[in-house]
Amino acid sequence: MEAIRTRIDVSGHGRSPVAETREAVFEARDLCVFYGDQLAIDNVNIDIYQRLITAIIGPSGCGKSTFIRTLNRMTDLVSSASLTGQLRYRGIDLHGPKVDAVEVRRRIGMVFQKPNPFPKSIYDNVAWGLRILGMRKDLDQRVEKALRSAALWDEVKDRLGDSALGLSGGQQQRLCIARAIAAEPEVILFDEPASALDPISTSAIEDLMHELKRDYTLVIVTHNMQQAARVADMTAFFGLEVAPDESRRGVLVEYDETEKIFTNPSDKRTEGYVTGRFG
Amino acid sequence: MRELYGTELEQLEGLLLEEGQLVDRAIRSALNALARDDLELADELVAFDDEIDRRYLTIEQGIPSLLARQTPVAGDLRLVLAILYINLHLERIADYCVTIAKLTKLSHDLPRDAAALEALEEMGERCREMLATGLEDFHARDVRHPRALVDMDRPIDRANRKLVDRFVAFGTDEPQREWAMRMMLVSRCLERIGDHAVDIGEQTSYLVRGEFEEFTDASHPTPRPAE
Amino acid sequence: MSEPTFSLRTSGRLRRRQLVSRAMGALAVGAALLAVAVLAIVVVSVASRGAGALNLDFFTKNQAQGFNPKGGGILFAIVGTGVLVGIATLIALPLGVLTAIYISELAPPKLARVARIALDITNGIPTIVIGIFVFAMIVEAHGQSALAGSIALAVIMVPLIARATEEVLLLVPSAQREASLALGVSRWRTTFGVVVPSAIGGILTGTTLAIARAAGETAPLLFLTSLGLSSQADANPLHPLQSMTLVIFEYSDQADPAYQAKAWAAAFTLMCFVLVTSLSAKLALARYRKKLGG
Repeated sequence: MEAIRTRIDVSGHGRSPVAETREAVFEARDLCVFYGDQLAIDNVNIDIYQRLITAIIGPSGCGKSTFIRTLNRMTDLVSSASLTGQLRYRGIDLHGPKVDAVEVRRRIGMVFQKPNPFPKSIYDNVAWGLRILGMRKDLDQRVEKALRSAALWDEVKDRLGDSALGLSGGQQQRLCIARAIAAEPEVILFDEPASALDPISTSAIEDLMHELKRDYTLVIVTHNMQQAARVADMTAFFGLEVAPDESRRGVLVEYDETEKIFTNPSDKRTEGYVTGRFG
Repeated sequence: MRELYGTELEQLEGLLLEEGQLVDRAIRSALNALARDDLELADELVAFDDEIDRRYLTIEQGIPSLLARQTPVAGDLRLVLAILYINLHLERIADYCVTIAKLTKLSHDLPRDAAALEALEEMGERCREMLATGLEDFHARDVRHPRALVDMDRPIDRANRKLVDRFVAFGTDEPQREWAMRMMLVSRCLERIGDHAVDIGEQTSYLVRGEFEEFTDASHPTPRPAE
Repeated sequence: MSEPTFSLRTSGRLRRRQLVSRAMGALAVGAALLAVAVLAIVVVSVASRGAGALNLDFFTKNQAQGFNPKGGGILFAIVGTGVLVGIATLIALPLGVLTAIYISELAPPKLARVARIALDITNGIPTIVIGIFVFAMIVEAHGQSALAGSIALAVIMVPLIARATEEVLLLVPSAQREASLALGVSRWRTTFGVVVPSAIGGILTGTTLAIARAAGETAPLLFLTSLGLSSQADANPLHPLQSMTLVIFEYSDQADPAYQAKAWAAAFTLMCFVLVTSLSAKLALARYRKKLGG
């Protein structure tokens, strides 16, 4: 019996085609992350594709935050963290000996869970980084462009000199996104970007992500499954494995197109997690 | 976890299977009324349809509520959709039974042909078999016999064609011809009931496998090559 | 409802409890009042004895020449104190801030603890000992100078500035550092571009408090700059310069009541300076803490 497969395009932008036609931006091979002697993430093999939104979901402690922080070497900030295996960014080993973490972070930006604008003016929040990164030419235009891309320009254009701390939570988060975009990265990582925000701000950020996808590769960590379902093209489910010695580590259980993960996942553990019926 | 949600899903499925049993009784009653030319039974059947409609409506209303409140995904989502569609198919089957009952009443005083009635009885029993198989497989999440329903549909097609041949040879007697026409409609109803039973089987396949597959039915007489 | 079978009224045990409670409360209030009273007594007595000798000349003229002690002022000492504390601040401020940055941002935890302990110990060294130390290191070879005095004052100020700075650096949320680093900004630029500017209010306040403290130091200066001549206006740090504290010390030793009145006046001036500076610094710090934490 022949199965008829139909994929309905409702997003307007064109549902991203199956990933094989895309270039891989990150390639992880047998990646393990340790905190001291404790194995936090075990044997991750994953390709993250260009200009798609990839969501990482899973229960608490499954290592999703740890994983995303390996992508821009924020794990360096934890002195006990170490890695084995390979993590390549466009073919270069991210954690190799000659690689400068500062350079890595210029190309791979990050937006955090709780909005963390600098206690400077709105303008300076975006401009400060630019000045330091040596992008001083046409500063005003760059700031405006970044704020427009973050869908914040209209709301703040008349008060660029005001303190950023006076903005609402949703606006602050968009300012942090503008700040990250201004540095012209290739990838933007989001660590639970909307968990501190109300539903309306969350929707605004999600719409923004759809726009950003045109130019940037996005990776988001979220504990909100519905958000992953709404926003992501590809979804990776990290599960918790308990070793014989009762230690817990995160493993990549399933990685596929979001549609498949939420309508017909291959792994029982994925099904259990997304339906919420087996913890 | 999500106990309430799990219970709701079970209740919906239970209600659906109950409805299935009622529909099976309706088919049997329709066939009996036709075979015995029993007008009272025909009327009872029309009233009985209300029982079926009650369950149909409960499920119809329960599904959007469940979708909105519990946001089912993956297997649960497919189950809810399967229940939705099977519910519709059962309701259509029940409607066809009512139609058969009405046709029975309309053809009450007309001359009857035993051979034709036998053919219709056989078609009806096949339908009941298909419905029972379809619902059992659904409940057991069993897709080991995907061709079974399609195979069962074939005798119904054959019986239908035999009926056509028989009626074409009926000749010019008007009351006889009127009866034949009404019986063709009954045959048409039974054929459609068979198609709905096949559709129920398709739902089970989607539920278990996660992919839509269209089995052959009346609109696609040529079987597609097996995978 | 039936009559309750128990009573909630005051019983003997409860009365005793209440008595003890009130007695303890009274003691506590008394102790607090005593502490405040001491400050009040000091302020009032200095003010009453010193205010009388204050006049414009006091602040603008040097020590009168000759045998007439009336008239003249302590301009020389004020200038001296200014130079001493000014140079000390110039030395202590960068040292203290950089030490704090090292402890809170860069040092591995063990080294940070060692540094913190060292600062605390330095803070506790009697200032006269610091004075002797600087005397041995510098004055024996080069003679007295305001510079030597400034160095001693700086040693006293560094732990104060470093601790205050460290406190406010810790108050800066780590999210700020993360945000900056995630942009691809280097560690040191993050520290000086984001963390320190956020903490600047606290740093300045800590420095102000240290200045107030240094302005009031006497003991170390005894060895290091006491030979400053009151007769000339001199601001050269390589010479020994007078200071207000030394003036208080010397004048109060004199038999002539005119000198003693001047001593009280100098004490009053110094006290006002310290009080005003300390209070406003503490207020500013409290407001600044609220801003950072809120």
